[in-house]
Amino acid sequence: MSTDAPIASLADVADAHRRGATTVEATVRSCLERVDRRNDELNSFREVHHAEALAAASTLDERLARGDDVGPLAGVPVAVKDNIVTRAGTTCCGSRILEGYRSPFTATAVERLAAAGAIVIGKTNCDEFAMGSSSEHCAYGPVRNPWDPARVPGGSSGGSAAAVAGGQCPAALGSDTGGSVRQPAALCGVVGVKPSYGRVSRWGLVAFGSSLDQIGPFAASVADAARLLGVMAGPDERDSTCADVPVPDYLARLETPPDPLRIGVPRQYLGDGNDPAVSELIAGKIQLLREAGATIIDIDLPLTTHGIATYYVIAPAEASSNLARFDGIRYGRRAKTGPGDDLFDLYARSRAEGFGPEVKRRIMLGTYVLSAGYYDAYYVRALKVRRLIKNELDGAFAHCDAILGPTSPVPAFPLGERADPLTMYRCDVYTAITNIAGICGISVPAGTIETDGRRLPVGLHLQCPAFAEETMFRIARVCEQLG
Amino acid sequence: MSSPATIASTRLKIGLEIHVELATRSKMFTRTANVAHPDHFDAAPNTLVDPVVAALPGALPVLNRRAIEMSIMVGLALDCRIASFSKWDRKNYFYPDLPKGYQISQYDLPLCADGALTLPRPDGTVKRVGITRCHLEEDTGKLGHELPGGLHYDGSLVDLNRAGTPLLEIVTEPDLEDADDTVSFAKELRSICRFLGVTEGIMQRGHMRFEPNINVIIQTSDGHEYATPVVEVKNLNSFRAVKGAIDYERDRQVAAWREDGLVMGPGAKSTRGWDDTRGVTVLQREKEDAHDYRYFPDPDLVPVVVDDAWRETIAASIPELPMKRRARYVSEYGLSPADAVTLTDDPRLCDFYDTAVIATAAATPDLSGPAGLAVAKLLLNAGAKRANETDRAIHELGIGPEQVAQLIALREANEVGSTAADELFGHLCQTDEAARAVAEREGLLQVRDDDALDAWVDAAIAAQPQAADDFAAGKDAAAGRLVGEVMKRSQGKADAKAVRGKLEERLR
Repeated sequence: MSTDAPIASLADVADAHRRGATTVEATVRSCLERVDRRNDELNSFREVHHAEALAAASTLDERLARGDDVGPLAGVPVAVKDNIVTRAGTTCCGSRILEGYRSPFTATAVERLAAAGAIVIGKTNCDEFAMGSSSEHCAYGPVRNPWDPARVPGGSSGGSAAAVAGGQCPAALGSDTGGSVRQPAALCGVVGVKPSYGRVSRWGLVAFGSSLDQIGPFAASVADAARLLGVMAGPDERDSTCADVPVPDYLARLETPPDPLRIGVPRQYLGDGNDPAVSELIAGKIQLLREAGATIIDIDLPLTTHGIATYYVIAPAEASSNLARFDGIRYGRRAKTGPGDDLFDLYARSRAEGFGPEVKRRIMLGTYVLSAGYYDAYYVRALKVRRLIKNELDGAFAHCDAILGPTSPVPAFPLGERADPLTMYRCDVYTAITNIAGICGISVPAGTIETDGRRLPVGLHLQCPAFAEETMFRIARVCEQLG
Repeated sequence: MSSPATIASTRLKIGLEIHVELATRSKMFTRTANVAHPDHFDAAPNTLVDPVVAALPGALPVLNRRAIEMSIMVGLALDCRIASFSKWDRKNYFYPDLPKGYQISQYDLPLCADGALTLPRPDGTVKRVGITRCHLEEDTGKLGHELPGGLHYDGSLVDLNRAGTPLLEIVTEPDLEDADDTVSFAKELRSICRFLGVTEGIMQRGHMRFEPNINVIIQTSDGHEYATPVVEVKNLNSFRAVKGAIDYERDRQVAAWREDGLVMGPGAKSTRGWDDTRGVTVLQREKEDAHDYRYFPDPDLVPVVVDDAWRETIAASIPELPMKRRARYVSEYGLSPADAVTLTDDPRLCDFYDTAVIATAAATPDLSGPAGLAVAKLLLNAGAKRANETDRAIHELGIGPEQVAQLIALREANEVGSTAADELFGHLCQTDEAARAVAEREGLLQVRDDDALDAWVDAAIAAQPQAADDFAAGKDAAAGRLVGEVMKRSQGKADAKAVRGKLEERLR
């Protein structure tokens, strides 16, 4: 693999700081060096917070020296996707319309990581407003895959995935609306989690599809991802959709596999749509699970084939409304207007200049499906299908603890290969239903396949019922250790 | 086209939409202070703004439950059905006073529906006005072209202080048929809202805005009926404007119908504004061009569930409403309807009055006549006079309800005369002391002491010999001059009845 030497676990990093084996400053310095060394090649970071990170590190070192308990992430460097607001630096969402935008507040998820001792080292590039599956639709240039810089890292959280896979940092945050954490995790060979809807506060996550969006962690291992989520999860009075559900200790029983362990494998998940090598690799993992004592259950999820269509009605509908605030009036890009131009010109020109083509496409799609005369045929119907998909998955979970399949039908593809939007949209075929149903999902590295003479990683995808993250991590831990 | 038949009669058909800015402490979806709350009426532009109000990226709305409670109070007062489940919808459109590019509102599941308000008319009949629905939404900001201080600015300025103020929209059935009933309804609704404490109801500040939907049903001599196209008059913030707009529209619509014969039909509704100085309505939008607001459920908010317990708690917090109070004052206390209206104009005055009545009844259980009448007389005479002089409200003059009761007790026992009572009222506005102590100190208690009275009577007879002779000769009218003389000498403290007795003793 083309990445740097394996990174120590987050527990080890934090522990080394606690014991005084090394300082946070030294860790952060070396992390920043790795970021700088590879960023021209990967373009994973849009902005690196050198000064802020080093200042936070020395504060933490002082506190450690005093014997303070600085939290479970003591001195762990973390990268944050550019659609999650931070008081430090800027938040641009991969878009020209927010170029240079400074948020007066920090997202709850980031605040909680920082309160647990994590150090934010910078903002990572992503598809504009998280709309894309390749991190090519970014106003600040495409992100490249550390396994092969000619290929995409997946998206939309490609910068965060590449940063962890490329050894630039041990942990990162992304956002997942239809697969935007899990698919790049799979394509970059790292762990990526989409928490249940309502598990992590969305306060500070720039909204794309509000009923689908969740912030999720990237890490090198299941244990690290579980540790990060444990810190971020839980109710937040600033987000009314954030659930008041207790957060179990995800690490306490991580090494104890559920017993019995029932894994559902939808027959739709290993079919023609996949790269055959991907199907073969996942099938091998299923066999290993069976040998390890798991019960493999063949399940049928016929409605999941409508997941993409449903997703591409609901997500753009919400996005068309969520992105209306970018109007050039209060902040962000405002087009120059001259005499004779009216308010409409100001709106139209600011948004025409500020948004990229994929964002415009989705705003138009969303506006269309919410329009009088089309609302019932598209939006209302999509909501009905959403309910049916939820029911179908609930039915499946009556028989199994997790649903397993590939995260992505294909490994990382070359930049520019999927210029056709519909081909691109198919990247989310296995991941979008997780968001549609509000359940949780995780992508775990399953090994590599050879494509065009390159070893490329493949992700194994687990989906579990809403708020069953604890079980999901334990099963993911089993999968992580399969040969 | 003009109709060949002549007009036999016309009848107005009016429905009202009323926007009430709720005076919650904080805004509807964030903790920042609400400009409709009295503490923040005069906040400088854009000082009541936070990430939610300004719609910054990543900000999310969180419901202020107090706005729901206030809306339910209004709904219950209007006899509405309260929805156990309602939700939030986004109304999407672009405008600089709308930071998010959508307004959070309630589209198909309003919080309150199917109510009515029955108004008594002066002639003893009643008018029932159906309430279609009351739904909650957030107010927008304001656009202006003036800098603070009134300087002209060449461009548009946005003030977001009002953005996110909870706004209750009340929609009536088109049950109203003239301007007077409509204004009575509007006034009664304002009064109800003020008594519920959901708004200060200051019209000039836009706390309540009225939007009548008006058309005219024209009956022709040949028995046909024609309905003129509905006109919605926007944003009226005085009762005078409501009346003016309705009366103007009646004439205008009938004249327009004579001219073009246009009747109500799909797309025929237009929007007009009210020009207060010229007293005319002005066309704003020709056709209600079915603006597509792309309503859809707001995914950032959870539905509102109102269970029985919550509804009951809210219902229990509703005070006696003004209409009921007025009826009580007239039937139980014998007040004139006009005085009852005056006392229920301001909920604080009304509460002051009620408290004073209870105190008076307790202090003087054997009062001649209802305590309510005695208190009303005192407040509307001695009180109203001082309120006028000092430009304050009667309940803010400084006198307390207990002092009112004490004053009435002294007067009832004839320990103070009517002139002294008025003067005592004035003193009590300046002090918290008991009425008797103040009356004693100020020498306002009536003097019945024989020696003192005899001295004054003697002096009066000496000073007014002609009147004394007249009175002695049997002319009763002459007593007035003699009693007046005694009062002058006693500075009003002499008991007039006792003086009269002494005059009779002495001169007859």
